[in-house]
Amino acid sequence: MSGESLVAVLVLLPVATAAASLAIKDERLRRLLIILPSGALIAASVLLLVQVLENGPLTFTPSGHWDSLILIIELVLLAYFVYVGVVRKHLLVLGLGATQLVLFALFKFAWLPSGFKVQPAFHIDLLAVIMCLVISVTGSLIVMYALNYMQSHERHLKLGATRQHVFFFFLVGFLGAMNGVVFANSLLWFFLFWELTTLCCYHLIRHDLTEEAEQSGLRALWMNLVGGLALVAGMSLAYQASGSLSLLDLTGFGTVAPVMLLPLALFCFAGFTKAAQVPFQSWLLGAMVAPTPVSALLHSSTMVKAGVYLVLRLAPGYEGTYLSAGIAVFGAFVFMITSVLAISQNVSKRVLAYSTISSLGLIICCAGINTGLAIAAAIALIIYHAVVKGVLFLAVGIMEQSIHSRDIEDMEGLVTRLPALAGMAIIGMVVMLFVPFGVLFAKWAALQAAAAAPTVWFSLVVAFLVIGSAAGIVFWVRWIGRLMSHTAAGAGAPEAAPPEAEPRGSLSYLVVAGLLAGGVVLSVLAAPLVSYLINPAGAAMGYSPALDTAGWHLKTSFGFFTPWVLFVVIGAALLLPALLVRVRTEDIRPVYLCGEHQASSAGGPVFTSLGDQAVLLATGGFYWSRVFGERSLNVWVNGAGIALLAALFVGVIV
Amino acid sequence: MSLTELLIGLAALVLAPFVGGFLRGVDRRITARMQGRIGPPVRQPFYDFLKLWGKAPSLPNRASLVWVWGYLLLTMVTVFMLFVGQDLLIIFFVLAFAAACLAFGAYSVRSPYAHIGAHRELLQMLSYEPILLLTVVAIFLQTGTFMVSGVLEHGQPLLLTLPLAFVAVLVALGIKLRKSPFDISASEHAHQELVRGVYTEYSGRTLALIELAHWYQLVLILAFVALFWAQPLWAGVLLALGAYFLEFVVDNVTARVRWTWMLSISWGKGVGLVLLNIVLIQFVFSSARV
Repeated sequence: MSGESLVAVLVLLPVATAAASLAIKDERLRRLLIILPSGALIAASVLLLVQVLENGPLTFTPSGHWDSLILIIELVLLAYFVYVGVVRKHLLVLGLGATQLVLFALFKFAWLPSGFKVQPAFHIDLLAVIMCLVISVTGSLIVMYALNYMQSHERHLKLGATRQHVFFFFLVGFLGAMNGVVFANSLLWFFLFWELTTLCCYHLIRHDLTEEAEQSGLRALWMNLVGGLALVAGMSLAYQASGSLSLLDLTGFGTVAPVMLLPLALFCFAGFTKAAQVPFQSWLLGAMVAPTPVSALLHSSTMVKAGVYLVLRLAPGYEGTYLSAGIAVFGAFVFMITSVLAISQNVSKRVLAYSTISSLGLIICCAGINTGLAIAAAIALIIYHAVVKGVLFLAVGIMEQSIHSRDIEDMEGLVTRLPALAGMAIIGMVVMLFVPFGVLFAKWAALQAAAAAPTVWFSLVVAFLVIGSAAGIVFWVRWIGRLMSHTAAGAGAPEAAPPEAEPRGSLSYLVVAGLLAGGVVLSVLAAPLVSYLINPAGAAMGYSPALDTAGWHLKTSFGFFTPWVLFVVIGAALLLPALLVRVRTEDIRPVYLCGEHQASSAGGPVFTSLGDQAVLLATGGFYWSRVFGERSLNVWVNGAGIALLAALFVGVIV
Repeated sequence: MSLTELLIGLAALVLAPFVGGFLRGVDRRITARMQGRIGPPVRQPFYDFLKLWGKAPSLPNRASLVWVWGYLLLTMVTVFMLFVGQDLLIIFFVLAFAAACLAFGAYSVRSPYAHIGAHRELLQMLSYEPILLLTVVAIFLQTGTFMVSGVLEHGQPLLLTLPLAFVAVLVALGIKLRKSPFDISASEHAHQELVRGVYTEYSGRTLALIELAHWYQLVLILAFVALFWAQPLWAGVLLALGAYFLEFVVDNVTARVRWTWMLSISWGKGVGLVLLNIVLIQFVFSSARV
């Protein structure tokens, strides 16, 4: 298949599938209709990778009246946002939508010469293909998971008429819009796909139509419209300064004139809103009211990744400028502060949301550091984060349906209740957190890049990075600890999980296991991944490859490690004891309770407390919310975020 | 990795427990003298180890034993990596995994005392991790490398240009060695609300394993301190021993603090000092910037 038709498949097939799923009411048929194109999508993205690896970047403009069609859809879409503002009586949405519509119409019809075309419409380099792989593979797997999930979700909600067809319309369509975002070179086309992701996101968040869901959807909408407005303003300024609306011209490998900095800053700002960076984090936190596949999709492969993609895509354009340093400091700050905020959270999805925002902050920080090593770290982080965050969200989704709670406190001892699922979640968190897995490799590269950065601000960036990564240890380890905590057989024996508690062969379990296996395998193969994909992707953006992978080491100019050796050593250190250690049942003793034991009851160990009352043993997590909580920190966090953004813009303008 | 490096690493793995145990014995002896007691013989930690090893097993569950083994083996990995001259960042990342294993072991048992200890262990990691990593970056700025082997080749003593970072490392050292005023997670001297924190559920052989891991860890941390005056080596050893002695003194003249205070000391003063040192390197000793 030619590159052009692959692109057509990747963008249009999800849209067509989405349209079909809207029309088809029969559940079994829809299942088939969604699973088959998902496979095609994955295959197409792999074929596209092969093409681009062989022939270099794919650059073309589809023939036909696409420009007019896209313009029409764009105007309809913006008008729809205004309509939402009117119907929902939401002034912010109304105002932002109307301003955007008027500005865009003025720009398009009064400013741009009629028949203005951006050549080429698509430019697909390796970075775009990597993004496309992340979107198509992770995204398709999440869609498959959703097939099972939504059935039980609707059963649980006891809906009269199913709304699954609407759900899958937006869920599958999302993938097409995302692929469009990463392929587009023409900013006019890019803008359409960007706004389409906003639209899909809004509808998916409000899917359950509860009051809370509606409010969260509207919040996501207005915050992303702020970004859209920045995009329109950036487009006008970019056109005024350079007469071009092509991303290729805009980045131009570091040869950008100072007048272009403001549009670039506006584009990056749009990226920050989409990536839910401080002070826009609340829309992503609110988005967790949506069914879990939505959260998984928003957090791992789509939506927020569009934001960091834009910042990363533009990185060669602002290399070595004040803007670059400002972005590095801002991203590092977000990385740190959202990790710290996550310590105070006891709701699993909020912990995951904060950790997503924090990882995105790290990616943005890497784009701001803007050296070959930093860009490699950013791309690696995009890949690993997408896979692992997908695993964690999907696992939490199943847990929520089993134990009817998303509170980490209620997940105590899940290793005995849902062993397979808890095991996968624990491994996923370990992959997020510890060496030798991929996320840590990216963090290692980011720290080295920050330490070797040419900007004088690097010391601040490094300080933010080290505090943020220490905070990450706290909330992940504590969560793993809650999952693992159990009493051994003999002392208040935990009932072993009945086999029917976990449908291990079901599609959703297979998806989680498959994604997790992918994350682990990619971590073991970090060196080849860098040498075949990440280094060439950086080189295609104009950066000199900074990671030497000869002999399967990962080597920078300042340090190195060998992932597979670490895997063998650390794996042996943890697995050998797990396999070899034997404990005799008669050596098992009840836990220490100040010597005030009573006999175990059915619910577990009991001890004697005040007034000789028998009290059931209980343990709980500490969340230290007085120190790390949102209530005490949010004012400062948002204030600092706004101040940093203001400093960024003031510096760029002056 | 050359054959010599490999042999040095293996030798370190064999010798570290003896050095670590001996230093612990010295610690107990000197501490006793400071408190007006005679104290145990210097060999006492080895006697304790053997006694613990010979006890009849008594465990809350199997998982905790597995995690303790993980804690010991991963700590040994870090010692090996340091002595063969590997990447300092990776060494500290592995060390974090090892420390987490101790917390996992405590969490895996449904025991209130162990859980409080594990939570506080996390707070200790939250406190010392940033100092250690930031110091590694400061060392990088002076030597141009993250590799221990590269730092050893650096001619000039690091202490001369990184004095403030060194002070911060002393704070981290105190937290990592669980000395007063930072013994909040395991309390050397049993405190009521903690009993023995993360160690509560360990006894006999598992406790012996933890003790062994601590000896390795002591050697690791002191070796890191010695990097501040790597050439000649005896100066580094003296520096490390001096730092260790300072920890005894502080241990004996201070009382245990609240965790918020520990965090404000380590993030505020500790991280602040390293940052200040980095800024000094850049602007005052700017010629040394690589």
